[in-house]
Amino acid sequence: MISDQAKKEIDIWVAKYPTGRQSSAVMEALKIVQAENGGSLTNDLIKAVADYLDMPRINAQEVATFYENYNHKPVGKHVIRFCHNISCMLNGADDLISYLETKLGVKTGEARKDGLVSVKKVECLGACVGAPMCQIGDKYFENLTEQRIDEILDGLK
Amino acid sequence: MVDIEIEIDGKVVHGNSGESVISIADREGIEIPRFCYHKKLSVSANCRMCLIDIKGNPKPQPACSTLASAGMKLYTKNAKAKAAQKAVMEFLLINHPLDCPICDQGGECELQDVAMEYGSDVSVFNEGKRIVADKDIGALIHTDMTRCIHCTRCIRFGAEVAGIVEMGGTGRGEDLKIEPFLSEGIQSELSGNMIDVCPVGALTSKPFRFEVRSWQMNSIQSIARHDLVGSNIFTQTHKGKVKRVVARDNESVNETWISDRDRFSYQGLASEKRCLVPKIKVNNEWREASWQEALDFAVNGIKNNNSDGSKFGALTSKNATLEELYLLQKLTRGMGSDNLDYRSDFANPAAANILKSSISLAELEDIDHALIVGSHLRLEQPMINHRIRKATLNGASVSAINAQTFDSNYRISNNLLTAPQNTLATLSGVLKAVLNEASEKQPDYLNSVVVEQAHKDIADNLLNAENAVVILGEHVNGNPDSDGISQLVKDIAEASQAQTLNVSLTSNSLAAEQVGFRPVNGKNALEILASDLNSFVMFDIYPDFDCFNPESAIENLSRSDAFVVSLNSFEDDSVLKYSDVVLPIASFYETSGTHVNIDNISQSYSASVKSAGDSKPGWKVIKVLADLLEIQGFEFVDSCEVADEALSMTPSTSVARAKITGSEIPEISTVWQCAPYSVDALVRHSSSLQETQIGQINVASVSKATAKLLKLSEGDLFKGVPVNINNSVAEGCVFVHTYQPRKC
Repeated sequence: MISDQAKKEIDIWVAKYPTGRQSSAVMEALKIVQAENGGSLTNDLIKAVADYLDMPRINAQEVATFYENYNHKPVGKHVIRFCHNISCMLNGADDLISYLETKLGVKTGEARKDGLVSVKKVECLGACVGAPMCQIGDKYFENLTEQRIDEILDGLK
Repeated sequence: MVDIEIEIDGKVVHGNSGESVISIADREGIEIPRFCYHKKLSVSANCRMCLIDIKGNPKPQPACSTLASAGMKLYTKNAKAKAAQKAVMEFLLINHPLDCPICDQGGECELQDVAMEYGSDVSVFNEGKRIVADKDIGALIHTDMTRCIHCTRCIRFGAEVAGIVEMGGTGRGEDLKIEPFLSEGIQSELSGNMIDVCPVGALTSKPFRFEVRSWQMNSIQSIARHDLVGSNIFTQTHKGKVKRVVARDNESVNETWISDRDRFSYQGLASEKRCLVPKIKVNNEWREASWQEALDFAVNGIKNNNSDGSKFGALTSKNATLEELYLLQKLTRGMGSDNLDYRSDFANPAAANILKSSISLAELEDIDHALIVGSHLRLEQPMINHRIRKATLNGASVSAINAQTFDSNYRISNNLLTAPQNTLATLSGVLKAVLNEASEKQPDYLNSVVVEQAHKDIADNLLNAENAVVILGEHVNGNPDSDGISQLVKDIAEASQAQTLNVSLTSNSLAAEQVGFRPVNGKNALEILASDLNSFVMFDIYPDFDCFNPESAIENLSRSDAFVVSLNSFEDDSVLKYSDVVLPIASFYETSGTHVNIDNISQSYSASVKSAGDSKPGWKVIKVLADLLEIQGFEFVDSCEVADEALSMTPSTSVARAKITGSEIPEISTVWQCAPYSVDALVRHSSSLQETQIGQINVASVSKATAKLLKLSEGDLFKGVPVNINNSVAEGCVFVHTYQPRKC
């Protein structure tokens, strides 16, 4: 289930913790297998990570379902992580998310059929000064409007 | 720990520094509402119900996580505390459905009680409530997670007590759900306790679902007798039927927990397979009979087939009560016979099994090392295993000499895989290593023993410990070398100044020992079953499970010149095959009796319900049989008189030293262990227990090399049990763990 390459990467993280505390590497391990699986986790992968780290499976699932960084449905090549917390919400994030959904023809949490993009609502990304905002890959896009969103989407390939 | 004085609601009370305020209040009888706090679990302080006002503190604090310090002044009922409690109560009820009328917890619900006492009449919340989809988590626990208030007691119970982390909290915030991983069922042998710890109706008993309201039942104090602990329970009855079994606190016996076996076995009482009327076999045809007719038939049969008593034999299961064991023993000896035994599943009942337990249940928590010999302790004796687990949480280490590496809920640091035929040699090696290290003189029989490194490791573990215990488990019973093994265990414990714990004599075996239910000069179980005796009383025997070699036992008892009187609670084809009379007797909870537990505590209980159909309590049937057989000394009016007489007996304790001689060594041997939910007739008939994963245990484990020798491959049947090839088993043996009838 987990490739040898991924295991190697996980082992680097395991080595950072004291012996017997290998389960501390669960967050990184989930990240590694998620990346390898095209950006999302499956129950089998969570199970495999838990078994590899010799920890209760439910504990790995707790971590995987707590954090927004983990996706439980297949995602597009580009994940638009749209903030919907207080500052962004007050500045119209909800309307912009609906706009984005209509424009792309997807629902939040799902990937578009062609696999190019998916939209995900996330909690505060710490850029309230530029609300409403979203994150695509490593890049933040701030002070969003419908027009600005159109431009951004045009740039996605 | 210093004794300190604090003030709660103006009352000066004493506590230990570092003790939580709530536990002091509990001891003093000062009521503080709570949901997540449980005296046996860690403190999580997440329900916030126990908020109290502490003088000098601007905000109310949870009493469960506030540690007492000298001079503290606490108020549990002032305006600030009350306002906080009321607000939390309203908050907790926001998402809780108002479905008490259809909730099994209704009437015994902590949330209901606390809401009545501390809640408000109306809620200001008028938005929609959340709904949580339920998961099927097995045959024992029904879930209604919409009712969950996220106290996490079940999660902590799994992690801290059961030792298997099964429940967890997935999601976050409002989406938080308490559930097990995917749809994996709950596997723990103690899982039923989650029902008891759940303060709401989220986790309820599945077999009990919608049976009856909690306030309609009578709760009767009773004792569970499936294992050596004799857990204290309440049987809850309605209209003469046992509807539920719950735990009763007894710190020195079962604390607040009971095993699933004790909790759900009662279901078997309602089985269709109960023996309800006496039956007699006339001209090879079975027909129902009245008690009078059946008893006369039985007595005549015994008399006609038994001229001088020496041709009479009695066998009993180890589930019989002390009273039944005593009376049957008295009857047998009154007949002039010494052919009696309770160890029909032993490979070598001639063995004395001289090992006495020298440590109590409560003391087990203080050990710093345990050596387990021949036991799958977790499934054999869940509550004893729980004490060992508690010791390991305090730093104790555990090593084992077992035929297989078992799935345990604590770490077994040193597991020496040993096939049954090598156990004697291994223990000799360990004894020699212990004596060598302690520079003590060795007895001659150890001269030729070779000490291996593994033996030394085990010996070191024992010698380095200050307070060690050596535990002898069930597997010894199926081992022809049992005599030598128990002697060696005793010697090892003595040489290393360790305590001993003998869990090999299970259920009510210690009561059988108390009343001397074993032959002095007569025939033991194996001999009785292979002999030419011609009249038998078989008490609660189901040969397919209870006899070491069922096939030959059934064949011998079916002889035309053998007259067999069987007393059973459940119908059984094999019993019908060899019996001439079947007298229906009361099952668990239907008879008064006494259980002798591993601490040698005799716990008596009364009948919770009347016995099913026309069946009668076993002790009464034996008494009447004895009267009809004109044996003196059976003038008992109630079972208490029997118990008094039985307990006044002094069992003979002088047992000669067993010889350490191995039997012929087979190349490959079999360990046959009955799965935990097949150990007696009642659990075998409990349908929900049978559906669980533990109830379905059915595997013959064998190592790769041994499988090759036996020409077995994965999935083949070995004595009817599917083969699993893995490296957890000792070479040279097949470890069968199954719910199926025993095959020799």
